[in-house]
Amino acid sequence: MYWEKEWETISREKLTAYQFQFLNQTIARAAANSEFYKKFNLKPVNSLRDFEEFPFTTKQDLRDHFPYGFLTLGLEQIVRLHSSSGTTGNPTVVFHTKEDIDSWANLVARCMYMTGMRRGDIFQNTMGYGLFTGGLGFHYGAEKLGALTIPTGPGNSKRQIWFMQQFGTTVVHILPSYALHLYTVFNELNLDPKTDLKLRIAFIGSEPHSEEMRKQIEKLYGIKAFNSYGLSEVCGPGVAFECPEQAGMHIWEDHFYIEIIDPRTGRVLPEGEEGELVLTTLRREAMPLLRYRTGDLTRILPDACSCGRTHRRIDRIKGRADDMLIINGVNTFPIQIEQTMMRIPGVGNNYSIEIRKENYMDKMYIQVEFDRDVFEGTLEELTNLQNRVAEELKSELVISPVVRIVEPGSLPVSEGKAKRVHDLREKV
Amino acid sequence: MASHLSIFVENKPGKLEKLTRILAENQINLKAFSLASVGEYGIVKIIVNDIDQAFEVLKKEQITVSKRRILIATVPDQPGGLHRLLTVLSANQINIQDCYGFVIENRKEAAIVIEVEKYPLAEEILRREEIGIMADEDLGKI
Repeated sequence: MYWEKEWETISREKLTAYQFQFLNQTIARAAANSEFYKKFNLKPVNSLRDFEEFPFTTKQDLRDHFPYGFLTLGLEQIVRLHSSSGTTGNPTVVFHTKEDIDSWANLVARCMYMTGMRRGDIFQNTMGYGLFTGGLGFHYGAEKLGALTIPTGPGNSKRQIWFMQQFGTTVVHILPSYALHLYTVFNELNLDPKTDLKLRIAFIGSEPHSEEMRKQIEKLYGIKAFNSYGLSEVCGPGVAFECPEQAGMHIWEDHFYIEIIDPRTGRVLPEGEEGELVLTTLRREAMPLLRYRTGDLTRILPDACSCGRTHRRIDRIKGRADDMLIINGVNTFPIQIEQTMMRIPGVGNNYSIEIRKENYMDKMYIQVEFDRDVFEGTLEELTNLQNRVAEELKSELVISPVVRIVEPGSLPVSEGKAKRVHDLREKV
Repeated sequence: MASHLSIFVENKPGKLEKLTRILAENQINLKAFSLASVGEYGIVKIIVNDIDQAFEVLKKEQITVSKRRILIATVPDQPGGLHRLLTVLSANQINIQDCYGFVIENRKEAAIVIEVEKYPLAEEILRREEIGIMADEDLGKI
């Protein structure tokens, strides 16, 4: 049940000793060779606690030192680069040596194996290939594990379903919003994924989603869906993943040193408190990062997991520090709105949130699809559902949106990451 | 037993037209309809000659549709026709949730579609009062 038993079940004591050793190697390499880290005059630490004095690295730092400022090796040692979209300014570019790619693939294989995927499984990867790490990251991991890998990439729903049927796909990597959309295509084709497919596992990640959405996917497809976490700056997918307990994601502490900080003060928070995840790479060769601020909000789950792995778990990502919506002074995360709505019977799979400024006040408009399967054909049920959604949002999140029920399938679905929040307020 | 189709329609140009197009293309004869709206959306209820076929084609076209039980009472197409039916129902404490009508044969017979809460009871009362009742099969013949 373990891909690498000795690493996955290592004692905390030994793990800490290794972390300390790897950390100092990383600091030494970064301080000596990376243009960015050179200027800080960093010295190896005497204890992990001393490391809290180190400066943070931010996404802006990566952009400002584009393209080679973080490299610790010559380009002749580099075999690949990945890049995330640069909508403002330079994109962030991340380099990999051969060893980095192997070690990343191994981490992804470790995650997949943990969920029950084995050699003999048929793996269909519906994630984007190319500069985005979700596609190639899982692809290499699946091949490392030894599973037949079908690189369909994203989009073309009918072709996705055709491949699933023809080759008996058992494991799929899919965006959670796309999984829900794809289900409607199954319906159009008069197919039931529960009986017409051999699917048993889905890896869902790349966009924050709620526990309710996971359960919905599991129910519609009759499978187990596992949450995945990663970011291209430190490799890509494979940083943290759910085990069969499905209670938080084990973050691989033999490869990453983790801290949770208060995003405002930068202070390290005690275990269990919610804040921004900060990662330090312990094994990366081409581009080690020290105290990288991920922008992702989560907390460390303090208890040991009954699966036997000693690596600590992080909670489902609550959102990005910069996703937070401030509505007339009240802080809300889109994921909380989703969570609240999807708990209500009769609510469908898709929604959109729009925020406008009206008479100097913030006004939120929510459109939410209802569930066609429970439609009884009365106006009352629809107005009741609409009122219920508004009431629950008000009582749970203290927001008073204008809620409108819309027909299933009427809201736009993207086959990439879903854009559900549209903030139309003018930025000050 | 009779039923009609209850269909969700957004209040936007072309939404009703799509519905009638699907019915026309599938040679389905629309006998009667009613529409209730709350502004941004509404519910259209339709009586057709072949309800099962209509239900299938609408579902296939991704229309949100549900089959609902109704009573179709026949009354004389003359002054007081509807009044007698309503008198009977109200005397028996039967509440009407939705209601619309159509003429079967001018000046002879009209049909009144009603949604109520208590079906077996309402039906029993109409039979006792010798008010005509139509079933799904009858709709194909008129």
